[in-house]
Amino acid sequence: MASGGNFIESRMQRHMRACMVCSVVRTAQEFTRSGCPNCDFLQLAGNPDAVAEATSPDFEGLITISDTERSWVARYQRLQGCLPGVYAMQVMGVLAEEYIEAAEAAGVHYVPRDGSATEAVDA
Amino acid sequence: MSHSDSGSDNDDFNPQPEVDEQDDQDVQQPRAGADVEDEEENAPRKTSGQVDGANDDDEEEDDDEDEEEDEDEDEEDEDEDEAPRPHKRRRKLRRNVFIDAEAEVDDEDEEEEDEGDDAEVVDEVHPDDYLEPQAADLDDRRHRELDRQRQMESSKDAEQLAAEFNERYTRRNQIQRGGRGAAGALPLELPTVNDPSIWRVKCKQGKEREIILNITKRIDQYRRVGQNVGVYSAFERGATIMAGNIYVEADRKQDMLDMLAHISHVYLGTPQLAIEVKERPDLLRKRKRTPLEPGMFVRMVKPALYRGDLAKVYEVHGNGLECTVQLVPRLNYGMGEDANARPGDAMKRKRAPFARVERPPQRLFNEAEARKKDMRNLSSAGTVRGSKMFHYKNEDYQNGFLLKDVKIRDVNPDDVNPRMEEMQFWSITSEDGTETLDLASVQAAQKAAQKGASFARGDKVEIYEGEQKGIRGTTVSVTGDIITLEVSEGELKGRRIDAPVKTLRKLFLEGDHVKVISGTKHVDEVGMVTKIRGDRVTFYCDSIQDEITVLSRDLKLAADSATVGADSKYALHDLVQIDASTVGCVIRVDREVLRILDQQGDVRTMLQSQIQGVVGKNRNAVATDRDGSEIRIDDTVKEPNGEGRQGRVLYIHRGTLFVQSKDILEHGGVFAVRSNNVTTLAAKSGREQAAGPDLGKMNPAIQGAGNSTAAMPPPRIFGRDKLIGKTVVIKRGPQKGLLGIVKDTSGNDAKVELHTKGKHVQVSKDWLAIKDPITGEAIDIGGSKFPNRSRGGYSGVQPSFNGGRTPAWGGANRPSWGGAGGRTPGWGAGARTPAWGGDGSRTAYGGDGGRTAYGGDGGRTAYGGATAYGGATAYGGATSYGGATSYGSNDGSRTSYGGFNAGGRTPAWGSGNATLGTKASAPTPGAYNAPTPGAYAAPTPGGYGAYSAPTPGGAPMDAPTPGNFAAPTPGGYGGYAATPAAPTPGAWPDTPWGGAAETPAAGGDEDPRYD
Repeated sequence: MASGGNFIESRMQRHMRACMVCSVVRTAQEFTRSGCPNCDFLQLAGNPDAVAEATSPDFEGLITISDTERSWVARYQRLQGCLPGVYAMQVMGVLAEEYIEAAEAAGVHYVPRDGSATEAVDA
Repeated sequence: MSHSDSGSDNDDFNPQPEVDEQDDQDVQQPRAGADVEDEEENAPRKTSGQVDGANDDDEEEDDDEDEEEDEDEDEEDEDEDEAPRPHKRRRKLRRNVFIDAEAEVDDEDEEEEDEGDDAEVVDEVHPDDYLEPQAADLDDRRHRELDRQRQMESSKDAEQLAAEFNERYTRRNQIQRGGRGAAGALPLELPTVNDPSIWRVKCKQGKEREIILNITKRIDQYRRVGQNVGVYSAFERGATIMAGNIYVEADRKQDMLDMLAHISHVYLGTPQLAIEVKERPDLLRKRKRTPLEPGMFVRMVKPALYRGDLAKVYEVHGNGLECTVQLVPRLNYGMGEDANARPGDAMKRKRAPFARVERPPQRLFNEAEARKKDMRNLSSAGTVRGSKMFHYKNEDYQNGFLLKDVKIRDVNPDDVNPRMEEMQFWSITSEDGTETLDLASVQAAQKAAQKGASFARGDKVEIYEGEQKGIRGTTVSVTGDIITLEVSEGELKGRRIDAPVKTLRKLFLEGDHVKVISGTKHVDEVGMVTKIRGDRVTFYCDSIQDEITVLSRDLKLAADSATVGADSKYALHDLVQIDASTVGCVIRVDREVLRILDQQGDVRTMLQSQIQGVVGKNRNAVATDRDGSEIRIDDTVKEPNGEGRQGRVLYIHRGTLFVQSKDILEHGGVFAVRSNNVTTLAAKSGREQAAGPDLGKMNPAIQGAGNSTAAMPPPRIFGRDKLIGKTVVIKRGPQKGLLGIVKDTSGNDAKVELHTKGKHVQVSKDWLAIKDPITGEAIDIGGSKFPNRSRGGYSGVQPSFNGGRTPAWGGANRPSWGGAGGRTPGWGAGARTPAWGGDGSRTAYGGDGGRTAYGGDGGRTAYGGATAYGGATAYGGATSYGGATSYGSNDGSRTSYGGFNAGGRTPAWGSGNATLGTKASAPTPGAYNAPTPGAYAAPTPGGYGAYSAPTPGGAPMDAPTPGNFAAPTPGGYGGYAATPAAPTPGAWPDTPWGGAAETPAAGGDEDPRYD
């Protein structure tokens, strides 16, 4: 867990981006500095291009989660096992094929978070 | 990690539950088998125990099963466990046995019920397939067992249950957690009662994110100090309908309140609403964005300059976040910018925060203009696909359009509804110069707009997309965007299937009569389908007699006829202003477009918005035809040469006629023609078509002849009311008797300024009597009293009295005379009297009045006073009798006066005529004299006064008339002649020589007769 906590200062809020795989929200700088806390396979740390491609500034709904196991919201958002922190409800953008492959290779089933995935339960 | 151990995918997803299931079944099945064997004795005991066990295990099992089934659907290849499947199915069938048991047992907890009853029933029954009939009583027992079981369970409260379940599921959850990566493939988990509650908390709108982050900060702090957080999550949904709310997930309300305490913008004052379990998933529902496709139309949201503008998606970028759109640029080519500003200044200058910038109009990029005005910012960027690209001010232009990269969230693909004016920029100019819209792009623009509403029951439809492509059927019902259709052909014939609207298109057959119900500019056109290609249908339009191609979804089968343009503000055959110098006649009204025949005879197609307005029909407009005859609206005209068209004039505008013919088909029979190219055939109202002006009306000779017999119309009074400024006395009403001056009149009323109070009063004109301002004598205003003239005699009566009296006055004045002795003044007085007489005499002359007057006291009094003097002189005059006669001869000329004067004998007449007098007065032309003289008489006499007594008397008398009259009247008086005479004359002098001429003569002649 990032030492500084998950709070994002208001002046940095305009630089917030969301990971397209796990929807965690951080600033672009944080992504570049320490990567995505849940998705190491994306190898975002130190790689601004990857940050630009695998994270999106276009997201809706902000969730802060302190307990991803107990929280039903986290479960419903498929965030079990993720670290506590700030997440997005919905992340726009299409993840490039190479990142999807990386995710699958790491054993993570990628489900798009842009609302295009069907919400199976509703049926 | 279990998934890393197992080699295959399918094991990953739910390995443990399967094991569970297997175990359970292994354990239970033998047991169940045993049950069957000694069912009759052991059933009660065993079932109870077994039911317990089954309940516990099977609930879980069943739950897992459900899950597994879901997975089966997701993961096709998980078919290893073929064996358990038939088994499960059979078990499920068996559950029918207890269908009534389920009905009996009413349970409050649905989830539990679902899980519980299935499982237990299933397990027990499956071996009993064949024992069912005999086992009816046993069943009953089991029912009771079940009831008891249920009751026990229902007595536990929800929380306890939740705890149990929680315990039960812990293991599974752990497994899932372990396989988080794969969690996506799992169905989302619905919330349960044992999950934390979610509260809705009101907050300041627009501050949601800030609050969430502040909660994050607080969570961080709690954790740092090792404090229990209590709140599991908090979220917001941004600027949706859920704006102004945040949602907090916590076990206890107090935890939530503690967390939110002292966080700004949160409204803890308003009650927090706990969200019900089944509503919770809705809180997290995701909004699906309409995917953009190149070619579709969107509305711009973001750059303020282009907000609301129509744009066409040119390209969607790979990351799904940006796209390139085609826009109609709004450029001003550097106009309005400070040319001397240093580059970069504009950037530095602070923008006024709320200044509403007027944006330039939409116009396609114009290279020439850019070159001319703003050269330094323009560069050509080569040619792409035959069209020049320009780079201007850091933006690219192609084909006149601006190509702009925008974020997808800054465009709105929904509810685009492009208007025709907007679409015209994207219209394609074909080789023959006609512009047509790119139907494909319209289609793309409107694809999203397709809703269930455009389908009606009974429509023939075809599924043209997806797996069921090609299926045709008839619409049965429409629910939202799902349409149920009954398949009409193929294998599935007769089956009812549901299909989303967007995969459907309406099906038409050639020859169908269709109506356009939406979409293009052709709305409401009706026609017959001639060609069908894909979902484009071409039909032959009834009203424009031409083929139109539209999308099939915009059509419906129609039985009615077209009602196009009903809501237009222009009507067929309106005359409209096209530009300052051009007008035209509307010959066709479309929904958005008018076809107009202009005054040159050209047909223009214009948007309704381009038209300045209706000119309207000028009924008074006149034109002349080639023969000089006048043409008015609705006349029938004909072209004598050329096409020989003939028709009724609709409008006349300057020299142009808009004529409607019934024989011409094109343009609805309307054509425009110069007025001097037609001849008038018939005027509408049978108005005579004169060859020229009517000379008869101009010839005074004819005119005069015609009118000479006609009575003179009553004189009209023009201009200022003669009453104004007159001194009047009020004859009636509260102010009766007061003297005043008329200041103003209106209608029948006059405003009188009273002498007494300096006050203005409004009185009826009828209540006023006009007075002489100097003398105070009543004056009759002739003109206005015309009808009164005959009565004048009467009214004259009194004046005559005055007149009569005046002399008496004169008598009264004698003293002065006395002073004067034989002086003229005496006469003056006398003279004056005549003046008065003017009034009196007037009237006196007027007729009998005069006579009576004389005859009356007036005469007498006069006698008394006047006689003395006047008498004397008069007598003298008597001698001048001859003078009188001379009168007769002289009447025509005034010179004769001289004679009189000289003779001073005028009065003589008086005497001479004494006898005559009475008679003479009788004839009295007096009527005429009466008015005029009064006024004049008054002064004159004064003048005369200076003369010798007689003369005056005589002079005035003669002057006028009077020779004749004067002669008589005075005559009556004899010696007094002077007085009476005086008045009349005054009158006469001006007037009526014409009329007088006769009278006097007559008078003169008459004298003898009288005699």
